[in-house]
Amino acid sequence: MKIAALSLACLSAIALSGCDNVPGRPKKEDRRPEPHHVTDFKTLYSQNCAGCHGNGQSVGPVISMNDPLYLSILPKEQMRQIVTSGRAQNGMPAFSLANGGSLTNEQIGIIVDNIYAWAKNPPPANAPAYSAPLGDVARGAAVFAANCASCHGADGKGLKDKAGSVINPAYLGLVSDQYLRTITIAGRNDLGCPDFASRVPGKAMTNEEISDVVAWLASHRENEFGQKLAPAQQ
Amino acid sequence: MNGKALIQALNGVYEWVDKRLHVTDLFNHTAGHPIPKSSASWFYVFGSATLLCFMIQLLTGCLLALVYVPSAAEAYTTLEYLTFRQELGWFLRATHYWGSNFMVGIMLIHVTQVFLFGAYKYPREITWMSGVVLMLLTLGLAFTGQVMRFDEDAYWGLGIGAAIAGRSPMIGQQVVNFMLGGPIIASETLSRFFTLHVFVLPGSVLALVALHLRMVLTKGINEYPKPGQIVRKETYDKEYATIIKKEGIPFFPHGIWKDLVAASIVIGGILFCVLMFGPKGPLGEPNPTQIDTVPRPDFFFLWIFAIAALMPDYMETFMLLVAPPIIIGLLFILPFINNTGEKSWRRRPIAVLSVILIYLALGLLTYLGQTSPWSPDMKAWSGAETPREFVEGRSPLELQGLAVLQNKQCRNCHAIDGIGGHRGPDLADVGTRLTKDQLVRQIIQGGGNMPAYGKNLSPYETDALVAYMVSLHPRGEQPARDSAVPATPAPMSVQEGEQHAAVGAH
Ligand code: HEC
Ligand code: HEC
Ligand code: HEC
Repeated sequence: MKIAALSLACLSAIALSGCDNVPGRPKKEDRRPEPHHVTDFKTLYSQNCAGCHGNGQSVGPVISMNDPLYLSILPKEQMRQIVTSGRAQNGMPAFSLANGGSLTNEQIGIIVDNIYAWAKNPPPANAPAYSAPLGDVARGAAVFAANCASCHGADGKGLKDKAGSVINPAYLGLVSDQYLRTITIAGRNDLGCPDFASRVPGKAMTNEEISDVVAWLASHRENEFGQKLAPAQQ
Repeated sequence: MNGKALIQALNGVYEWVDKRLHVTDLFNHTAGHPIPKSSASWFYVFGSATLLCFMIQLLTGCLLALVYVPSAAEAYTTLEYLTFRQELGWFLRATHYWGSNFMVGIMLIHVTQVFLFGAYKYPREITWMSGVVLMLLTLGLAFTGQVMRFDEDAYWGLGIGAAIAGRSPMIGQQVVNFMLGGPIIASETLSRFFTLHVFVLPGSVLALVALHLRMVLTKGINEYPKPGQIVRKETYDKEYATIIKKEGIPFFPHGIWKDLVAASIVIGGILFCVLMFGPKGPLGEPNPTQIDTVPRPDFFFLWIFAIAALMPDYMETFMLLVAPPIIIGLLFILPFINNTGEKSWRRRPIAVLSVILIYLALGLLTYLGQTSPWSPDMKAWSGAETPREFVEGRSPLELQGLAVLQNKQCRNCHAIDGIGGHRGPDLADVGTRLTKDQLVRQIIQGGGNMPAYGKNLSPYETDALVAYMVSLHPRGEQPARDSAVPATPAPMSVQEGEQHAAVGAH
């Protein structure tokens, strides 16, 4: 009885006098940082992008943002636009709060600005445009044979131990024409798809050749009944 | 005025008051009522200790309600305000939180003691049954209280509660609507649970406590059971009257001091936890856009969630919808199943054994619930990287499959080689476990705590996903095959599947 009363008295004494430094009192640090207050690029990129896009060390299913050539042809404003609104049809989520994402415009700004710190070189002299209308399908077939067939197979369906099919309708049904163009220009430096300038040694692909081969790839799209689609215009 | 006259005058006042309020009578019938000497035991303090916790909850609850705003938009902010800005607000929240933990814990001890001492037997059936209802109400208070935090945990707890309710045959959707105030968790949900938590449940507890205590008074406190003393309907009442006559002592002051000591220990314990561990949460704000997750509830419900997580899915509906009514029903009619006979636990091996088994099971399940890494990782879909060997060598379609796996938030529940959420199995070698058809079925129909993705995936997305998952097997190991299809003898590279077929067609 006495012991209980005594300890009770002690505890209430602590409670009344020293509330400021008892272990149970929540500290400012315990407070969850509001997600909107994260401003560190490394954290932002690894929480929001690294699952899908590589960062130079890791590889993801989609093109790495740490690709100097890619960054040299994609205007910064356009990347900001892509991250803000996403490409809902093609699996790139919209990240801005206004579009249902979880990042403020400042955070998107931090991500985009710092991604461009990975850009090393100015664009090469013969750099193709980031986007352009689809070219000619028939010419595209020839371009493909010259530049891509050695890895992706003469018919585009892939070569064992080299690279997989780029005309699989399900694949083409998921990616956008722009993404095909992006890959045709920048390749996948993290997975061994060369860029436009190094597929055929000494002979970089021209802007037209790129538009043509993308048109040829896109011409393999099918609708759900397995019929070919008319190539979508950009 | 001398002393004697003063006392006489005071006596006069007292008698005047007593004639009108019957205080003495009230005292004799309540605090002064005689109890068997043997019952003034340390084992008999848990009931009053539970009641004490409830009083603490009422007091702290009223104070919290001064600041708390039960709307989805403001609940979180007011809790943050209480925790970090309001002077001693954290202390109040912590006391309410620990008070509820103590209340549930002490109540369980009380129930166990009553069960082991045979106190539910004749003639105290109604006392026991009102106690069972009180126990359910207390658990209800604990659950609704956890919702009041309206943070991630609370949010997902509700989601799972709704999912369980939604399984009820025929009326599932209506039950969910009724519970949540709509098809989804929103402001209406919070006001519903707020009403339950501060009006309906505490009111019912008060009413039932009144009944419970009245029964304790009218039927008397259970005498400390002695082995060999058999309860018979015909003789018990007389025997009890004799005990009271021979060795009855008034509860006040002879019995009550142990309750008071217990009370101070309880208060000390609550204060200790409050000062050492502080309040719980609020965790992050709930994010209604992500539905595919599972919470970790407060500890007294962990065992339920462990059951839900560990059970094979064909048992799930049974365990969640059929078993609880049966268990509660059994508890409720216990005094009629086992109305007379031996009271002492020394002569009731089955009772002792079942208590031990129940506590072992609850303890084990709680442990599993606490340690198993089921909680999904909410950032994994956009943040979890995939080890190189599970990306390289994949065809473009398979790469898109991985992108879909991320985008559809599968990764929040499924790790690949340890990276990602751990709610479902690691997918790093899923290609060796499931065939293409089984994979399609799992994705479309879900099952076993995995949501069905049916309409949320386009055929292309399903194709890509399955192509990627088929490619997930350790180098050199064969992918899973339909037993009907003989395995092809040709060695498979990691990039088999469509490319392999393409080479053949070429
Ligand atoms: C859930 C996976 C996922 C996440 C997370 C993700 N992306 Fe994407 N992203 C994609 C996919 C898939 C595409 C290709 C879309 C298409 O086909 O056009 C893409 C395309 C892009 C493109 C355009 C590529 C092109 O065609 O030139 C940019 C730029 C981009 N993402 C940046 C980001 C940034 C920055 C983040 C982090 C804030 C991010 N993405 C997070 C999946 C993701
Ligand atoms: C040196 C071999 C090689 C050449 C030449 C090559 N690729 Fe690739 N490509 C790859 C590899 C490796 C991948 C990674 C996927 C795989 O292994 O299938 C890939 C992937 C791709 C992808 C999918 C990328 C993604 O992120 O979804 C596309 C599209 C593609 N290549 C188009 C082309 C086109 C168009 C050409 C010709 C202009 C071309 N490739 C030439 C090796 C090559
Ligand atoms: C809410 C968490 C959750 C999400 C989100 C989720 N799953 Fe699951 N998944 C599970 C659980 C839990 C299991 C185990 C099911 C069981 O016990 O039968 C499972 C099982 C599986 C299995 C069978 C694995 C095996 O080894 O038997 C596959 C394949 C699978 N999930 C794929 C997916 C895909 C693809 C997605 C996204 C489209 C996805 N899951 C999303 C929780 C989830």
